[in-house]
Amino acid sequence: MEIVEAKQTRRDFFKFSALSLGAVVATPSLIAGTAHPGMSVYGGYTKNRVGSLAQLKKTGELDFSYPDENALCKAVYVNNEVKAYSIICTHKGCPTVYNQEKAMFECPCHFTKYDAKNNGQMVIGQATGALPRVLLEIRGDDIFAMGVDGLIFGRINNNVG
Amino acid sequence: MALTLNDRLPIPPKNAEVKNVTCEFCIVGCGYKSYKWPLGKEGTYKDNALGIDLSQQQPTYGEWCSERMYNTITDRDGGKYNLMVIPDQACVVNVGQNSVRGGMMGVSTFNAASPTRDRLKDPQIFRGGMLMESSWEEATSIIAKVYKKIIDNDGADEISHKTFDHGGGGGGFENTWGTGKLFHAAIGTASASIHNRPAYNSEVHSSREMGVGELNSSYYDTSISDTMLVIGCNPYECQTNLFNLHMQANLDGSTLEAKKKEYDKGESVSKGKIIFVDPRRTASITNSIAIAGKENVLHLQIKPGQDITLMNALVSYIIEQGWEAKEFIKNHTENFDAMYKVNKVSLEYASALTNISVSDIKKAAEWIAKPKPSGHRPRNAIYYEKGIIWGIKNYENVASIVNLALLTHSVGRVGTGVCRAGGHQEGYTRPEYHGPSRQNLAVIDTDIIEGKYLVYSIWGTNPFGQSIATQRLRNAVSKRSQIVKDAINGYHGNDLDELCDIIYNACKSGGLFVVDVDIYPTQSSERAHIVLPAATTMEMNLTSMSGERRMRLSEKVMDAPGTAKPDCLIAADIANALKAEYLKSGNKVMAKRFEGFEWKNEEDSFKDGFAGQGSKMASQGGSTGTLATYKLLRDAGNNGVQLPIVKVENGKLIGTRLNYTDGKFGTKSGRATFLSTPQPAMPKQVAKQVKRYKYWVNTGRINEVWQSNYHTGRLEFTAKRWPMAPLEIHPSDAKELGITSGDIVQLNNDYGSTRAIAIVTDAVRKGEVFGAFGFQNSIINDLCTDYVDPDTKIPFYKGTAANIVKVGRSEGLIKDMTFLERA
Repeated sequence: MEIVEAKQTRRDFFKFSALSLGAVVATPSLIAGTAHPGMSVYGGYTKNRVGSLAQLKKTGELDFSYPDENALCKAVYVNNEVKAYSIICTHKGCPTVYNQEKAMFECPCHFTKYDAKNNGQMVIGQATGALPRVLLEIRGDDIFAMGVDGLIFGRINNNVG
Repeated sequence: MALTLNDRLPIPPKNAEVKNVTCEFCIVGCGYKSYKWPLGKEGTYKDNALGIDLSQQQPTYGEWCSERMYNTITDRDGGKYNLMVIPDQACVVNVGQNSVRGGMMGVSTFNAASPTRDRLKDPQIFRGGMLMESSWEEATSIIAKVYKKIIDNDGADEISHKTFDHGGGGGGFENTWGTGKLFHAAIGTASASIHNRPAYNSEVHSSREMGVGELNSSYYDTSISDTMLVIGCNPYECQTNLFNLHMQANLDGSTLEAKKKEYDKGESVSKGKIIFVDPRRTASITNSIAIAGKENVLHLQIKPGQDITLMNALVSYIIEQGWEAKEFIKNHTENFDAMYKVNKVSLEYASALTNISVSDIKKAAEWIAKPKPSGHRPRNAIYYEKGIIWGIKNYENVASIVNLALLTHSVGRVGTGVCRAGGHQEGYTRPEYHGPSRQNLAVIDTDIIEGKYLVYSIWGTNPFGQSIATQRLRNAVSKRSQIVKDAINGYHGNDLDELCDIIYNACKSGGLFVVDVDIYPTQSSERAHIVLPAATTMEMNLTSMSGERRMRLSEKVMDAPGTAKPDCLIAADIANALKAEYLKSGNKVMAKRFEGFEWKNEEDSFKDGFAGQGSKMASQGGSTGTLATYKLLRDAGNNGVQLPIVKVENGKLIGTRLNYTDGKFGTKSGRATFLSTPQPAMPKQVAKQVKRYKYWVNTGRINEVWQSNYHTGRLEFTAKRWPMAPLEIHPSDAKELGITSGDIVQLNNDYGSTRAIAIVTDAVRKGEVFGAFGFQNSIINDLCTDYVDPDTKIPFYKGTAANIVKVGRSEGLIKDMTFLERA
């Protein structure tokens, strides 16, 4: 038997993922808020206004960043409810793309999909959990982010970055 | 009141203990690193074991530990630790990527305050009407006394067993050797069967008899093929990183440079194309289209059971066009003319049977065999798995694919291969099995139903969800086990010899002595009289090999719960107990048979088996397995070595990327053999179900469920995602039955009945439903017939029929499910 030994080097497996990066530029809408230490045993979250409810109802989706400008999030209006998630796929950290028609966050890198109506539950894919959920408070027309339930990809602690 | 959010993990300090762990789940065998450090201690953002600045957001594809890659664990000395198990960026198999399954290895470990809390911890025996805690000495002594009596009075073949023979998932060369040496050599029973099927047989007999081992290629070669042909196989969900890295890289053109380097001079190079043969639309297909576009993906939506006809049609058309590999066929194969004489079919005939258009069959043949613009033959990476293996006739199903591979020289050439895609990893090294030929093998589970055997030893598997006619099997074993239980219940003494006489006599009166070795309580332990707790991956050192024969040492990271032990050492305990019984009775000849189990740890089993015996037995390591040592494998890390080992050079194991590159195959003549593969008729048991029941029932795996769902059915994320088996049903069928997604449905036929949660989707065709395999609370195999291929005794799990009714709906059950389209 002739032998061919493996000479594998790390290849550029990730070409495809680059496609998505430009598509999901969030507009940071950070407004300095008050500290909200009661929300997490770890603390550190601030309460930030992220947008207008009327506007969200009109457009169906709203980009913001939370808990800091490096954390891309999206609020969506589905089933007469406001839901908000970190849009960074918890498989390998690619920004997901929101499919409003299906109310589904879709990752273009390895096709993990999340259900926007059902707390970001994974429809199919290789993540090990749902999308992190941004906890919201709605007062009148103002939508406030209060904390994030679920670890954001690429962080050991949601409040770094 | 403070609300606890899942938003932080502890930081592994620089001195955290780092080990190599091979994923315990699918055959791809991705590399992971474990980090273990004392609870309450932490590194800092800047100074930590991961060597990255954790105060920063890590980039896409950066190093990251998800919540489910983490756990807290307790060792036997009471020490409490943090544990992270994260994908290894330096492993060439997965390059830092994880599947949903491998990414949950951390949370799958034993934690007494988590869903894994019910791991088996100590031996148990059935006394006083229930399973009660025992000692290893008492439990193995009872087994030995009963087995001895049976061997002496009735013969060893009365001890039937169903024992895992795989790598990964707590299996590996250490454990298959230990259990194989116990049953094949020491006890000497031929009444054997394998974890997922009712007899002791290969799933790829025909490929091997054609001279082509079933794992002959590498994932790298798949990534540089021209055409990937994927038959009865859904790699995105079942061999995830084979798809997500190697197939995807081929489809998106990432490997064009590698192709230029590896191909012949002047040979045309282009992005890969992929052909799927599958009766339903899978996520692998829709994802391939998303990557490569419709023009590079061909879905041949075959009528179930007609794969052989399709393969024969491809072979026939390729020969008609003169595209076959004439030189290769002439110099390296035999039996070509005899094969073609039988297998020749017209495209029109094949189209009518397979439900695939003539133009699509032609297109597939062109992608596989039509010379490229440069005149070179296309390079094909061919994969098949359970849609073929567990299809209408195992022997011809597999052979018909290997025929196509030989015809097109898709084996032993760079960028080619004809491989099973695989389920679990491999880890087979055992003394020769002295059973009858494949046509005469005992179908153990059918025999059990018919009242045969005195013992049913179930080891690291749960046949009651994963065999043929499982409802009948459960009922039969319940009844026969109860005869023994009743006898035990009538005895209140403390004399083990008396107790074992009672057990033996009950077995001789229609009873069945059931011994179960596992990591969790199952339907097997419910029926068992002795239950022994085993260790699993990360609780012992284990060596396995992957779908590209890549062997790694997956290191011990933590202690097993309670007094649970590695399976090889449990086998040794049983052997040593039998030896003691024979010595006590003065039978030195029989005592000698149980010698050679003086193992202190799993490495002793490895040295005795894989690394000790070489070509003297059936081993996937072959004769050069003797070159392997734990030290060399530990040094080789997560990249390991691709078997067979060629040599050791400067302390490094050198292996084999591709088999048969010299054109010498595994037959006496050295020539690969074509086989005649006529399309068989539907087996009569199955045909009867089709006649009596309305819906064809196909079955298979889903991404988030592993094997018998032992971890994934417990873990919060996956258990909520899939509380019962889903049943995909076409919208028009659903409408007719008044079913909507989320409804509980009942299926029934002559063999049994089961339940599932309906998912309405056009991924399946009208009249055909797809039920998920492996759930223990909704067992699709209850509908499976007792048919097995008479030539291999491999079942047709994928073919049965049933009627379906709506039962109702339970909103609580489906609260965390999602019914959005998966493919």
